[in-house]
This record gives sequence, structure tokens and C-alpha cells, in this order.
Amino acid sequence: MIVLDGVSKVYHGADGEVRALDDVSLTVAPGEFVAVRGPSGCGKSTLLLTVGGMVRPTAGTMSIDGSDLYALGPARRARLRAERIGFVFQLFHLIPYLNALDNVLAPALAGMHSDRSEAAALLERLGMGERMHHRPPELSTGERQRVALARALIKRPEIILADEPTGNLDPENAAAVTGYLADFHRDGGTILVVSHDDLAAENADRTLHLERGRVV
Amino acid sequence: MGNGGPMLLLRMMLAEIVHRKGNFLSALIAVTTAAAICVGVITVCDASRRETVRLMRDMGFNLLIVPEGTDMTDFWSRSFAEGEMPEEYVRRLADSGLMTVQHLVARLQKRITWQGRDVLLTGILPEMQMTGGPVKAPMGLDIPRGSAYLGRRVADSAGLGVGDEIELLGRRLRVATVLEEQGSIDDIRVYAHLHDVQEMLDRPGRINEIEALQCLCGSKQSLGSIRDDVRSVLPGVEVTEMRSIAIARAETRRMVERFNGVLVPAVVLMATIWVGLAAMRNVNDRRVEIGVLRALGVASQPIAALFLAKMMLIGLIGAVVGWAVGTALAVHYGTAIFPITAKGIAPIYALLGWAAVGAALLCLVASWLPAMSAVMQDPAEVLSEE
Repeated sequence: MIVLDGVSKVYHGADGEVRALDDVSLTVAPGEFVAVRGPSGCGKSTLLLTVGGMVRPTAGTMSIDGSDLYALGPARRARLRAERIGFVFQLFHLIPYLNALDNVLAPALAGMHSDRSEAAALLERLGMGERMHHRPPELSTGERQRVALARALIKRPEIILADEPTGNLDPENAAAVTGYLADFHRDGGTILVVSHDDLAAENADRTLHLERGRVV
Repeated sequence: MGNGGPMLLLRMMLAEIVHRKGNFLSALIAVTTAAAICVGVITVCDASRRETVRLMRDMGFNLLIVPEGTDMTDFWSRSFAEGEMPEEYVRRLADSGLMTVQHLVARLQKRITWQGRDVLLTGILPEMQMTGGPVKAPMGLDIPRGSAYLGRRVADSAGLGVGDEIELLGRRLRVATVLEEQGSIDDIRVYAHLHDVQEMLDRPGRINEIEALQCLCGSKQSLGSIRDDVRSVLPGVEVTEMRSIAIARAETRRMVERFNGVLVPAVVLMATIWVGLAAMRNVNDRRVEIGVLRALGVASQPIAALFLAKMMLIGLIGAVVGWAVGTALAVHYGTAIFPITAKGIAPIYALLGWAAVGAALLCLVASWLPAMSAVMQDPAEVLSEE
């Protein structure tokens, strides 16, 4: 279970103080699919990165299954992220010089079990069987997002945090990626997805609205 | 790292090198240049050092130890010291452990008239090397008992050749060698074993000079310090230096070494900065990649290893290429810069190992801060920017 309790995040920039999250309290149950919507700059990405253990809140606590993420040291937090959380980004963030198969295997660097045949089977399942030896610049945006999704799924995480996973995709690919996320959810996975489009919201158990860093 | 992690790390390193060739080549050129300059300079200097030692040997002894009270004005007019000292002095000096002198030869000389000719009778003891020091090829003459070596003028004027017998101060000696013309007082010398000459002159256990070679192995020794060293073992003796072209050359070599003492560190420093900047640019180019790896839960060590292993590889390749280039340049152009060392310039294979270790260390040091900055980078900041 993911629990945010009174979480605030304040950035201090050249233009002064920016309150990205403002006293957010939220619980996501195991196996729940939660969509987060809101205008640009409302704090959606900060929320995801905070849940993923990558942005330390200015105030409040964030815990997974009762373990306060930010009370852990950086190494244990990284370990927890490697073992339990998969990230999917709007811009895919694939490693440009590795082919699709090696991109999917990248979590092996974090000590996760990795098997080339398993990675290949996963790419096959996501319709990438013919393209697994191509590097990201040789892939379409839809294909890149599928590779990114495979990279998140290969370590069999309990939680997927997706930041606008369909934001750069055409409707067909957006539907396919949303479908894969829905499959993960059906298999018992927890999803927190930030998305502007309606597809995610349609598949989600519930939708949260974020405005100026607050859940409304 | 999980199974397949190290192999993936290796694939990532190689694929990244191919992907960012410019960055790789930039760092490689820096390391290769530094290694080539260092190897080239050391190769030429080593040849120069060996050649100087050879020249010094060829020029003969350059230190003279004569008895206390010797008037050097008389010495130079006579070409030998009038006074005497115990033969045992040469053994004492050899056993002294001094590092500043080597190749000790005891001599006893006397100007005599033989068959109406003015000759310089010279008794020589075979060279004595410093006890406990490295064994070196002997210098000077090694004359067997009962034999004589004749200076060219003495032999020609007396009509003597190898195999002839001569009688000198009541003693019969066989002419073993007639020396090449020297154009010096050596042409009127009759050389024999020291102990034969001591008997002929009735001066048992006496000598009147010790010739020696100033050691070039350490830092430059002034005559004053050598004199003090020798006098600490043989109190009262006079020590004089016979300056020669070889010593002038040794000084030139020291000047070159001083210059290299500045050049080599400067080159290494510049290469370190260059490699460091290339590593920093590489870290900047890979900020997103590092951020993603951190998001995947990759710990600091594999991320640092990605950078450090690449730089080590650059160091090793740069060392091998630099050694080959530096050696080729030294062999090819070194002869033009140092004509006298031409024969001595040859590849030094041991430098390959040193270059590999040095270049790898240079790359490691240069890329350490960039690698640490990669590890310390805030992934959220990068991913949010994107």
C-alpha cells in the first residue's frame, strides 16, 4: 500500500519559491489503478517521483507497505525501487546506443534477475519481436514506448509509475500501451499513472485531480 | 549486479564508445600524446645516459688522487706526482662504500733514462672495483707480471715489437703490446705490472697516484663533495678533476634532464586536464541516461564503473599506441636531435608496462571527479527537466 501523509514539496528557484506539492495525503491500495490528472505544472510529475523515492518531500511522509521511503538510506531506497517499482516516462528515456533488447535488460545493472530469452519473450508479447535488435533512433515513438514498458515490466514490479505514457503516441499506440497497463493491473499490479488523455482514466479504478499541488 | 550485469556493463561501455566516437577519440588523443611524449623523452634520455657513460669510459679516468702535499704545478709539469702513498690506500678506498668514485687504478711512476732515452716507467695494478657495488667492465690496462706494454714512440725508437724481450733496471720483461700512438706523454711510457715496477724501483707497497672515474649515477656531485668523500677515507690526499668533453656532455645531459623534469609533468598535467574535461563532457552528455539508471534502482557503483572502466580502457589503448608512437619518434627523430646518442636509441619494452600503469592511473584520476559528479547527480532534476 502506498501512503502519502501531508506531503509537500517546495522548490526554490530563481523566480522564488514554487510549491509543487501542497499537503497531499493519498492512499493507493495494492492492485489499485489510479489515474492522476491536472493542468501542466500542477505537480503531477513531482508526485510520481516522490512516490518513486526520487524526490524527497519538504514535509510529510511517504511510505510503501508501512516502510517510510525517505527514512531509508539512498542505497536501500534504490534497492526498493529496483525490486518493487517500474517507471514509464513520457519521453521513454531509452538508452540511445543500446538496442531494444539490451534496453529491456538494463535493470540487470541494478542487480535484478535478467534473462535474454525472457526479455525477448516480453518484447514479442508487446509486438516488438521483429524490432528487438534495433536501437531507439531506429524505432517509432510507439515502439519506443513499448520497449520502455517492457523495461519496467521485466523485473516484475508490484508498482508501475507512469508519467504521461501515452502523451507522445498516436491513438492506436496509446490504446495499445494503455491496454498493456490494464493487463498489468488485471494481474494484480498497482498503477499510478499521470495522464492527460481519457484512456487512462477510463481504465483506472479512480481518478485524482491535482491543482496547484493539491488534490481537489 | 544481477546475472548478466557485468556483460551488459561491458556491452554498454563498448556501444557508448561507438555512439560517442568524438568524446572517446578526444580523450584517447590526449592520453596517446602524453604517453608518446613521455616514452619518447625517456627513450632518448636513457640512450643519452648510456652514451654519456660510454663516452666517459672512452675518455678514460677523470679523477686523480695523489699524496698529501703534492704540488699540482709540479705534477702537471712532470705528469706524475713526486710523493708516494701506501698501495693499501686503493684497497681502503674500494672497501669504503663510497658512491662517488669507481674504477680504481693504482699507479707508481718514475721518469728514467733507458738506452739513452727518456722514458716514463709506469707500474699499473689491475683495476679494483668498489666492494659490494655492481660489477662493471674493467677500465685501464691489465698487465700480466713479467710483461711490458710500450708506448709507440719508445717502441719505434728502440726498434721493438711484440714478443721482444727487454731489460729494464735489471729485470727482463717481454713486450706484450705496442700501444697505438696517442700524441701525448703516453707515447714515451713503458708500462708494467705495479708489483714489477715496485721491485724495479725498490719501492715495495708504494704508489704515487690512484686514478678513478667520477660516478654519474647519482645527482651531480661537485668536486668539493667528492674531495670531502675521498678525504674521509684517505685523510690528507689531494683530489683533482680532469675535466673532459665527457663531463661537459654529462652536464648537457643533466640540463636536458632538468628540462624534461618540467616537460614531462607539464604534459601529464595537461593530459589529465584534457581527459578530465572529456570525462566531464561525457557525464553531461549522459545526464538523462544516468537519471534513468537511477530511476531503475541502479546503485552508485555500476554507474561510476561505467565511466571509470571506459576511461581505464582509454588509458590502456592510449598507453600502447603512445608507446609505439613515442618509441618510433625517438628512434626516427632522436638521432637528429641527439646525434651522439644515435646508436643507443632503442625501444625500451619495460616502458610499455609503465606507460600502461601510468596512463590508466592518469585516466582514473582525471575521470574520478566527473564519475563522482555522475553518481551524485539528482535524477529527479534531470528527468523533470526533460
